[in-house]
Amino acid sequence: MTSVKIVEVTQTFSFSAAHRMHNPRLSAEENRRLYGRCNHPNGHGHTYRMAVTIRGRISAVTGTLEDRDRLVQAVRERVLDRFDQVDLDGLISPTDGVTSTTEVLIGVLWRVLEEALPPGRLVRLRIEETPNNFFELDRSGQA
Amino acid sequence: MIRLTKRVEFCAAHRYVNPDWSDDENRRRFGKGGNLHGHNYVLEVTIQGTPLPETGMVMDLKALKDLITDAVLDHVDHKNLNVDVPAFAKQLPTPENLAVVIWELLAVRLPGGALYRVRLWQDDGSYVDYFGDEVRP
Repeated sequence: MTSVKIVEVTQTFSFSAAHRMHNPRLSAEENRRLYGRCNHPNGHGHTYRMAVTIRGRISAVTGTLEDRDRLVQAVRERVLDRFDQVDLDGLISPTDGVTSTTEVLIGVLWRVLEEALPPGRLVRLRIEETPNNFFELDRSGQA
Repeated sequence: MIRLTKRVEFCAAHRYVNPDWSDDENRRRFGKGGNLHGHNYVLEVTIQGTPLPETGMVMDLKALKDLITDAVLDHVDHKNLNVDVPAFAKQLPTPENLAVVIWELLAVRLPGGALYRVRLWQDDGSYVDYFGDEVRP
């Protein structure tokens, strides 16, 4: 058992959350025009599907990608426990972005996971807001 | 350069046991994974190349399917990975190792550089990608 092959493992998860797209610096009319039905005053929600890809060596002892357990644990503790069954708007701060678009959300989740994993382990994140709308961020897109 | 992917399915049994460890250690590390159980795997084999002018194809998908069947499926489908696949005599039959083994079975039967990626889905919403030894983004 001396294999040192490099693999990527992608694990999928889902969480359900409410949100409303609204930029407080714009007028009500401008918000309606910009965000359309996503600006509905009472909010709406999605089942977000998330695919997290990590990269590394296969452990010769367990035969699995190093830190695969940490990935699952990090997603449960840092993402699902905080972002599942909640109103996202309470979790997005102005420094993250103007409102809870999935572009802003994916940046927040990248940072959360990056902090919880060894340096360089996280290589790709994909968030499906609906089956028809999805967003991807990979390491090369990070400053 | 164009990439094309053939998707196939197979079913196999396996169990996780490290012969260097005691029964207790194996149970502690692998839990129920130590029991013989099975999965429905989905394998995606991605080939890259330039379409041949005379056929318009990078590779005949029927020929690729036959190659995958002969090189991989005949050896793993409805088999016990631990017992029936020699590569798992000395390593655990995890999805990660299985992806590498499948790559090696395919790569020797294909022109150099043609095999781009082996993607192996286990039936739990996760998959492993292997791109060969070379490091890629």
